[in-house]
Amino acid sequence: MKTIIAIIRPERVGETRSALEAIGFKGVTFLHVTGKGRQKGKIQTSKLAGPLSGECSIRYPFKEEQTMMELCHGEYEEKELEIGFVPKRMLIIVAHDSHVSAVVQTIIHTNQKGHHGDGRIFVCPVISALRVRTGEQGDRALS
Amino acid sequence: MKMIWAVVRPESAETVIAALEEIGISSMTRIHVTGHGKEMGITSGFARYTEIPKEMLMLVLPDNDIAKAITVIKNAAKTGPKENPDAGTIGDGKIFITYVEDAYTIRTAEKTPVQK
Repeated sequence: MKTIIAIIRPERVGETRSALEAIGFKGVTFLHVTGKGRQKGKIQTSKLAGPLSGECSIRYPFKEEQTMMELCHGEYEEKELEIGFVPKRMLIIVAHDSHVSAVVQTIIHTNQKGHHGDGRIFVCPVISALRVRTGEQGDRALS
Repeated sequence: MKMIWAVVRPESAETVIAALEEIGISSMTRIHVTGHGKEMGITSGFARYTEIPKEMLMLVLPDNDIAKAITVIKNAAKTGPKENPDAGTIGDGKIFITYVEDAYTIRTAEKTPVQK
């Protein structure tokens, strides 16, 4: 039995949840966390010009960039800001040994965008599990 | 590779983070939690407060750095009276260490090599 602790971007939670549901993992714990990695919490901000002028929003270097450009009529300035701890979501799944690689691959597949800050996955051993309602222990508590 | 879960006072969290950065550990996750220890919270008159706010820091480090990180967290999280700041006070926190078998970087989909 293993626990899979993954740190992902907040906007990827929905997609990750549906992808995990599709492979049969319906029980997931999500936590609101903040964190930083080797980049020491650098994010990119875009100062909007045009209809939304004056607003400054945190954005991630995704495809949404395109819509942002359209929204601002092509005028927006970019800068890198060091905010220290970046908001993230931590998801915790306890799975049977044989399911670990499927879960890890699903999380990687749904979250990999090739940018810094995509997240990390840790796999740690678990000694036992217990379902409180029925008192079932071990692998039976997970099924 | 091991995982450190450190529960510290919210007011000393910044000190702990700065101290860890000083020795070159900059990657960590921070979680706001509440809890109490064997003192069962704080009793004030008839009221008992059991949900005491704390900050939990999660770090994954190679085995070589674990002892160093624990010493740094321990020293930075300790609070005490002005005349003896190294004494430590109830509620300074706890450090837990667990095993990590594998670590993956999502960006590259690579398994981080386990450093013994």
